[in-house]
Amino acid sequence: MGPIVPLFNISNEINLLMAFIIGLGFGFVLEQAGFSSSRKLAGMFYGYDITVLKVFFTAAITGMLGLIFLNFMGLIDLDIVYINEYYVTSSIIGGVIMGAGFIIGGFCPGTSFTAAAIGKIDAMWFVFGSIVGIFIFGEVYPLLETMYMSNYEGSVKISTILGIRDGYFALLLIVVASLMFWIGEIAEKKFKREDIIDEI
Amino acid sequence: MDPYIAGVLLGLVLLVSFYLTGRGLGASGATRSMVVSAVSAVAPGHAENTTFFHKYRSDESPMKSWLVLEIAGVIIGGFLSGAWAGRLKLKVEHSPKITPKKRIVMATIGGLFFGFGSQLGRGCTSGAALTGMATLSLAGFVTMMAIFGTAFALAYFFRKNWI
Amino acid sequence: MNTRIIFTIIVISLGSIAAILPKTKTSSTQLTADELLMEMKLQTYVVSTDELADLLISNDPAIMLIDVRDSVAYQQYHLPGAINIPLKDLLHPDWIPYVDQISKKNIFYSNGTTLSNEAWIVTKQLGFRNNYVLGGGLNEWFSSIISPERPASTDPNEIWALYETRKAASMYFSGSKPAAREDNSTILPPIPRKKKTRVQGGCS
Repeated sequence: MGPIVPLFNISNEINLLMAFIIGLGFGFVLEQAGFSSSRKLAGMFYGYDITVLKVFFTAAITGMLGLIFLNFMGLIDLDIVYINEYYVTSSIIGGVIMGAGFIIGGFCPGTSFTAAAIGKIDAMWFVFGSIVGIFIFGEVYPLLETMYMSNYEGSVKISTILGIRDGYFALLLIVVASLMFWIGEIAEKKFKREDIIDEI
Repeated sequence: MDPYIAGVLLGLVLLVSFYLTGRGLGASGATRSMVVSAVSAVAPGHAENTTFFHKYRSDESPMKSWLVLEIAGVIIGGFLSGAWAGRLKLKVEHSPKITPKKRIVMATIGGLFFGFGSQLGRGCTSGAALTGMATLSLAGFVTMMAIFGTAFALAYFFRKNWI
Repeated sequence: MNTRIIFTIIVISLGSIAAILPKTKTSSTQLTADELLMEMKLQTYVVSTDELADLLISNDPAIMLIDVRDSVAYQQYHLPGAINIPLKDLLHPDWIPYVDQISKKNIFYSNGTTLSNEAWIVTKQLGFRNNYVLGGGLNEWFSSIISPERPASTDPNEIWALYETRKAASMYFSGSKPAAREDNSTILPPIPRKKKTRVQGGCS
């Protein structure tokens, strides 16, 4: 039964090796998906390329279904798997600031690493910017601490809040995502930008 | 690669991570590890006195942090993919409407915002939104909607940078 | 057919299966009914009265006797060195460090084995380790150790040897000695087991 590392007291060295190998796969797939191009990523917000929407939701759905089926087959203990802690205020404000960073900078931290790896100079500056951003956060943390810690709701699942089973929620999300993919592909045709697609 | 196939592969990488280690993917946490180690090395006294750096300070080298190792893999994985696809090239990618210099300034400012926001939101698009959505965590969905909602809302004001 | 349509068909089917799957609770510590039955059949968690007598006489510091009957019964009589955790208080936060630990061998007992078996099942399902049950309970303790039945003269030597040992144990426990372990304050505090916790993750 999984997760293997916490349940079988695997040594830290092996855990770090797994991290490296998982990272290899992560980086390879991100780059293959075309996420090393900021203009492709930004295409999502102007409708000419919705790759971000497709990859992001497809990955989330795959992971979600995988966890549900693994748990059903008794292969993973979901009591141990990490569930993000929900601090209402900081999740929303943090997300808004990240959204602004996304449209201004054209990357997110993960994609900036892969883009920098293939030689995108703007991505290297994005990485530098995020280092500075984290440093500034550390310096002003005392001013933000109250807000950072406020409205804590715990490691709560959306299905619990809605009062439905995980499987129902997964199906709901899949239906919504399928509709978004369909609308997105219509948008891709409508806002088509041959010039940009050719360049990236 | 077809985006849907890439997405399924990314989801499988995420699933392998859950199955093996119980945690999902992440990115901004690695940058934080590096920042904290750098501050500790340059100004140990300051790192000791600053709540945030002190909280994430560890005596072990950053090379023993899970996320730093994962990101090392991301960089090499991305490089290998780029090499395989013949995309390795030093360049500033920018819209013809803006200068490379402006693109670099915008990328740095964007990074700054993203770095700051990722600490406030306890994770970025990978650690909070993607991983969070796969585990059905409410925080993941809220962060995802805040990121994409804001980016859509602001898209009009930054259109010259992109289209 | 394009990839989107193929993908949509596949995930909607899988999602529908996920939605109709019966709700299961997969836990790494909880046993299934079959596993529990198997453990009970094998009786690996049972400590016999003879083993217990041995452990007590040798003053083994690694055992902790836990009387799961109510406090009235405990005050009337209890095994030397036993502490009292009535079954209804088993999961009281004050007692958790005793029943959920890794340093000692806990032996639950009651008059028969009903209460002690219940205590064992509850702790087992919570993933606590090192908990055992005194086979036959106090009733068996009295009939086998305190007043052992004299075997028939035709019985084989082993039975007689056992009887002699029990007789000696009986002398030990009913004599002036049983106060040896009475003082609970000298018993080392148990070391808590590493808790089952969520792993750290995301970007934190």
